Amino acid sequence: MAVCAAIVGKDNSPKFFCCVNPDEELAFQFKVLSSLDIIEEKLNPTNKSASDNRELYLGQLYSLETCKIYGYVTNTKIKFIIVVDSTNMALRDNEIRSMFRRMHSEYADMVSNPFYIPGEAITSKMFDANIKSIITGTV
Amino acid sequence: MRSSISYILSTSSAEPNMSHPDYDQISHDHAALLILVKHIGSQLKPKVFTKFFERIAKLNEVKITDSAGQVRNILIRYIREHPVENNDWGDFQTHRRLIGLISIGKYDSQVELNEVCRVHESLKVKYNATLYDSRSILFGPAKEAESPIDRSSGSEESEIKEAGIEKYTTPSNFKTRALFYDEVSPCEDLENQITEFINSLFWVLESKRLERSREKLERVSLLYAPFEKKDFVGLDMESRQNKKRCTGRMTKHLGDLCLQAGLITDSLQYYSNAAEVLKGVNDWLWLGAAYEGLSAASALVLYPNMQRNESFQRIGSLPEGSPKKPIAEIQPTAAPVKKNILNLLPPDDISKRYREAIIHYSKYQNAGIVETEASFKAARISVEQNHALQAASFLQNVVYINLALSEQEKIQRFETLAHLYTQIGFNRKAAFCLRLAATRYVSPQNPSPNWNKCYSLMLQSLSGHKLILDPVEMLQADQGWPALQIQILQDLIVAAKRASFSALATRHMTFLLQTMWPHLSAVEQKELAIQLQSLSVQCEGSPVPLVLETGIVVPPANLTDIPICIGFVLKDLKPFLRPRLIEQEKEDMGPFLFTPIHFGSLDRNKNKGDPKMDFLWVENEACEISVKLLNPLPFELKVSDMRLLTSGIVFESVPETLTLAPEMATSLSLTGWARESGELEIAGYSTHALGVKSNCRLKYMTNNFPPHFKIDVIPSLPVLQVATSLPPSASFSNFHDDSIVTSASLSLYHGESAICTITLTNPSQIPIEMLEVTINGALDPSLQSEIFHIDQEAISSMLPLLPEQTASFPVKLFGAANFLAPNCAVSPSTGQEFNSGMFNSLSTIQGTSSFSRINSSFRSSNSGQSSLAAGLTSLFQQPTFCSSVEAQLKIRYSGGPGLQALHCRTSTVFFMLELLPSLHVTNWDVLPAETSSQFYLVLDVANLTTQEMELEYTKSKHMLIEGQESCRVPIPVNRCPLSKLSDYYEEPDQSKNIAAISKICSEHISELVKLKWLLNPTDSEGVACLKGITLNSRMLNIVRMSPLQWDIKINGDTFSSQEDLSCEAGDCMELQMSIANSLETSLKELTLSVQFYQDYNNGTLNYRMDTRLAISGASKKILSSLEPKDTANHRCNVVFFTPGLYKLDIQCYTPDANSASAAPLLNTGHVWRFTPAISIQVK
Amino acid sequence: MEDTLLDLLHSEIINYTLQNGDEKDKKEEDLSGLEYIGFSTGYRIIERLTKEMPRFKDELDTMKFICTDFWLAVYKKQIDNLRTNHQGVYVLQDNAFRFLSRLSSGKQYLEAAPRYVAFTCGVIRGSLANLSIQCLVTAEVQSLPSCKFHIQVQRM
Repeated sequence: MAVCAAIVGKDNSPKFFCCVNPDEELAFQFKVLSSLDIIEEKLNPTNKSASDNRELYLGQLYSLETCKIYGYVTNTKIKFIIVVDSTNMALRDNEIRSMFRRMHSEYADMVSNPFYIPGEAITSKMFDANIKSIITGTV
Repeated sequence: MRSSISYILSTSSAEPNMSHPDYDQISHDHAALLILVKHIGSQLKPKVFTKFFERIAKLNEVKITDSAGQVRNILIRYIREHPVENNDWGDFQTHRRLIGLISIGKYDSQVELNEVCRVHESLKVKYNATLYDSRSILFGPAKEAESPIDRSSGSEESEIKEAGIEKYTTPSNFKTRALFYDEVSPCEDLENQITEFINSLFWVLESKRLERSREKLERVSLLYAPFEKKDFVGLDMESRQNKKRCTGRMTKHLGDLCLQAGLITDSLQYYSNAAEVLKGVNDWLWLGAAYEGLSAASALVLYPNMQRNESFQRIGSLPEGSPKKPIAEIQPTAAPVKKNILNLLPPDDISKRYREAIIHYSKYQNAGIVETEASFKAARISVEQNHALQAASFLQNVVYINLALSEQEKIQRFETLAHLYTQIGFNRKAAFCLRLAATRYVSPQNPSPNWNKCYSLMLQSLSGHKLILDPVEMLQADQGWPALQIQILQDLIVAAKRASFSALATRHMTFLLQTMWPHLSAVEQKELAIQLQSLSVQCEGSPVPLVLETGIVVPPANLTDIPICIGFVLKDLKPFLRPRLIEQEKEDMGPFLFTPIHFGSLDRNKNKGDPKMDFLWVENEACEISVKLLNPLPFELKVSDMRLLTSGIVFESVPETLTLAPEMATSLSLTGWARESGELEIAGYSTHALGVKSNCRLKYMTNNFPPHFKIDVIPSLPVLQVATSLPPSASFSNFHDDSIVTSASLSLYHGESAICTITLTNPSQIPIEMLEVTINGALDPSLQSEIFHIDQEAISSMLPLLPEQTASFPVKLFGAANFLAPNCAVSPSTGQEFNSGMFNSLSTIQGTSSFSRINSSFRSSNSGQSSLAAGLTSLFQQPTFCSSVEAQLKIRYSGGPGLQALHCRTSTVFFMLELLPSLHVTNWDVLPAETSSQFYLVLDVANLTTQEMELEYTKSKHMLIEGQESCRVPIPVNRCPLSKLSDYYEEPDQSKNIAAISKICSEHISELVKLKWLLNPTDSEGVACLKGITLNSRMLNIVRMSPLQWDIKINGDTFSSQEDLSCEAGDCMELQMSIANSLETSLKELTLSVQFYQDYNNGTLNYRMDTRLAISGASKKILSSLEPKDTANHRCNVVFFTPGLYKLDIQCYTPDANSASAAPLLNTGHVWRFTPAISIQVK
Repeated sequence: MEDTLLDLLHSEIINYTLQNGDEKDKKEEDLSGLEYIGFSTGYRIIERLTKEMPRFKDELDTMKFICTDFWLAVYKKQIDNLRTNHQGVYVLQDNAFRFLSRLSSGKQYLEAAPRYVAFTCGVIRGSLANLSIQCLVTAEVQSLPSCKFHIQVQRM
């Protein structure tokens, strides 16, 4: 079960952030922020190894003591980040991938909403609820 | 990365930590000889020590030729501190052993020298286990000559003989080679000495290596890492496994030694062998060490130029990705020769091997130090390879290594981590580490919390979170993560507060509020605002940059949005203070009448850029800007000392203080005085709110104001205060001139005069040098000039009006009006004829039919009491006679420098005159007078007021007229002299002349006749004039001086009107008449006639005198022409038959050529009569 | 069925935009509003369309995607010709551009053609913008229904 999800825009500013446990939000924000460094490194075109990977899914970015961080970058340079509790061993890679896919669909729906201006923070409650349900595994 | 089977292979150690991590190690250090350069004593200044240390440290590579002739490249590492426990690991990794010691000390006396030597010796003792050799550099007092150095080989030395003036000797137990220098001297042979020292070390090392290498591998003893000793208690030392272990370990040890001795290829060989052996016996720790050695050696081969990067300066805000080495250097110079080296790891493998090594290390709890250092070294290699992700993974691992570190070491660890993260471009992570380091400085476990350092580290971490200290730049820069930024800033503020940097604390708090305002919730906004208030009590915030000791400049943070400015408008001056341009004459632009080229007016650029105000301000006068503020906080906000921020010319701003109610908009006016003339630029205002002084510039405010306002300030102009002597009027009607300062109202009767005195006072400091007074109104200019009269001389005599002076000038007001009733039903132009009661009635030639048109019949009656006919009453009832006149007295004034700049001011006085009708001339007629030089002008004067009016119609005659009454007055007037009319007699066309002549006569009358009236109750008086009086031709005849001079003689006596003529019936009366032509031209076709008639005094005139009298001689005589100055005579006699009163009518007339259109009975020619009519009483 | 809807909607949008600008200068029709509608649409739709796609390697890759999958999705056909000078200029040629295919072929309605391609220019620009490629898109119609889109990538 994932504990936190974030959507970061092209300019690395947060578009959306949600935590299952709101008390830890600040700590998670720090962690996610640090993981941005890694994402950028992976996206860096000078890096030889990254170009082999044509996937949008970036895989595990970080493994911290209590959690693991996974990343996913769309072609439009929107970054999705999911933080998963380390104690939860049940989540496999495939599941993470599918979570990201669903997040991407949600996001694409959000962008298609003419009232949402791309580049702003996402404030839709429905979106929030949907993402929460994705990361907690209840769909 | 860590192994999941950690802690299995070693017992949890209760022993104290064996060594301290050295965070600065790089993998090349494996090949370096470790030398400690120690600072002894307090005499030597740290700066000097550092200088020498750096000088010595430059010698980190020495080429030594060994006994076989091969050149060895020896690396040396110099450190300043070395914990003794680290030497215990010397067996495990030989480069950890301290093998050389150099001490540097200063002395001024023998005692001190002894002390220094003693300390050196004690150091030697301390490191005795591993130390090969040492040197002591001693700085003596100045002027000490260099002592010759005793050249003896070996590690034990005797004392030096010193030469020099003062003899200092090392104590007798000093066994080290001492090098005496003077600290200020260049010490040229220091390098040589050190090199020689290194040489000696090398030889020792080499000998040890050779010794080891000659040992039989099968019989070597087991080498231990320090904590391993007890692990092997009780193990079978002779087992094959153990033997292999020994062999493997020793091989690895040999590899270390070779590496240190500069034999890289050999070391590679040894390492790989060792690795294989150790892998077989699962000796993880040493296997890891073997791998590490292998990697280090390969790295040494591949990247010989890898630097320690100690001097890397980290500047606060580096752009993302720049600390990475530029791509051009990405390929380390791997010479192709090196590919032939056996066992050399390719670059990728280096990291792999390191990873494996670290994993092996992680299995041992006590190998934490080694693991940490290995991780750092591996990260540094990855940095060199420009492989950021790998480096990141190594660094990530560091944090998980469980070590009992002191706080300082932890801090150092984080700082090193941050440094390395920055190098790979992970700025955020680096910032995170810096924050952790900062918190460690002040954590509860820290025995000596250092808020200062905490603060400085926090400050350094700002850039990683995209926090730029200049709020203006922040708003334009990339977005960071607001929630985190707020947290970081709050931590920073706490650190600043605790470190007693109150100014900085205030500044950062201000910064937080300024930049993060939109991201704060309402509750947070309120809390932070209150916090700022309490912080600023300690130290007020002000908009100056703060410079820290480290040289970092914290730029000012201005609270532009507390309060929010929602309106900023420059106000024009009051209308009567507005300067206007004095118009100049149009310059001559040359021969072009029209040209599409505009000379001198480049208006194209005017609208771009800053808006310039249309109006002007004046120097040294109060100027106003109206500002509207909104208080966004939920509590009352006191804003004090609000001033304007200006540039351009000197502007003195008046500070304002106000309290803003929560969440309400308040308007206020900021005033100021411009002390110079020129262009003023207003950029914003400064406030003092929440204890912080801020310069709020319009440029940076959220509400889209233009960057600044420009306005021209013209030089000083004087001010004028105007007062009138009349009371002000209640309302200003439709004149829209705003520069009206006062008003005057007055009621005047027609013909009445009044004077209004305008008093001017100059309350300013500038003299008034120009003054222009004009009257503006909607009236016809000529009428206006009649009503208002200003004496310009009086005005110019007032100049210059000096400061504080007062002067006044009169304005004459006259109630000009048309005293001839224009809308009277009775129209005088039809040639009204009426009988005047006072004089003998004169029968008209026209006859009675002309009376038919009279609406109002006039009775011959006494004046003054006559009852009025209907027409007159209607006159009185018409209300429109009361009219009002509005005009403005415009005063333009200027003086002083403003005048030189061609500006002036205008003040206007509004005049409201109410004109009340006084009297009216309703009818007029002319009657011949007794003398031929005058005539009587008979006027019907109506008193249109309600009061009794006394009319003075000649100099001596008065008449009282009651209110709303009319009376008739005769006025003797001189006849219009021929001189005025002479031109018109020459014109053959008589009809045209009549208009001209009547005009001249009308003017003549109006000049001569002035009716003075006086209202007794109110004491008003005035003069009525008869301008515009119209005369018909009959009247004209009377008005004009007759061109004929009559001379009548009756019975030889010249007739005079006073005498009564009488004669008896039957008497013959002789009439002699002569007429003289007093014109310049001749009169043609004159007919002189004599007629008698009787006047029955009831309006009838009887001309049939045939039975009453007889005339002998011609009663008519025709003169064909009468030349100028010529006289014609006529004589006749008359006999009266019956007694009675007879009147004689003598006239002379000319027939008009255009008589066709005339009424049959009227003579349209000129008729001249002898007036008055002669009456003869016949008895 | 959706094709017809899109065609009709597109025509209506053009009418609407031009109606609003009717009072102004008749010489230059203000198609910038139309282009902006296209920009916004393209920006958003690309998110959905690239969801399943692997990451683009480089600019050329992205352009190829536009030519094939993107065009297919929107206009039901692929671009017929893609040319580039590898300096950042690309020319996409569509020989039977959907919105022009309803007008008679040839040069008769050449003057009216710009209106019908303005929206698409915007769509292309928006899509590329969201893929982090800032560019300038112009269209050239020489004879209906063939149309060329010139894309000029603006490198910072």
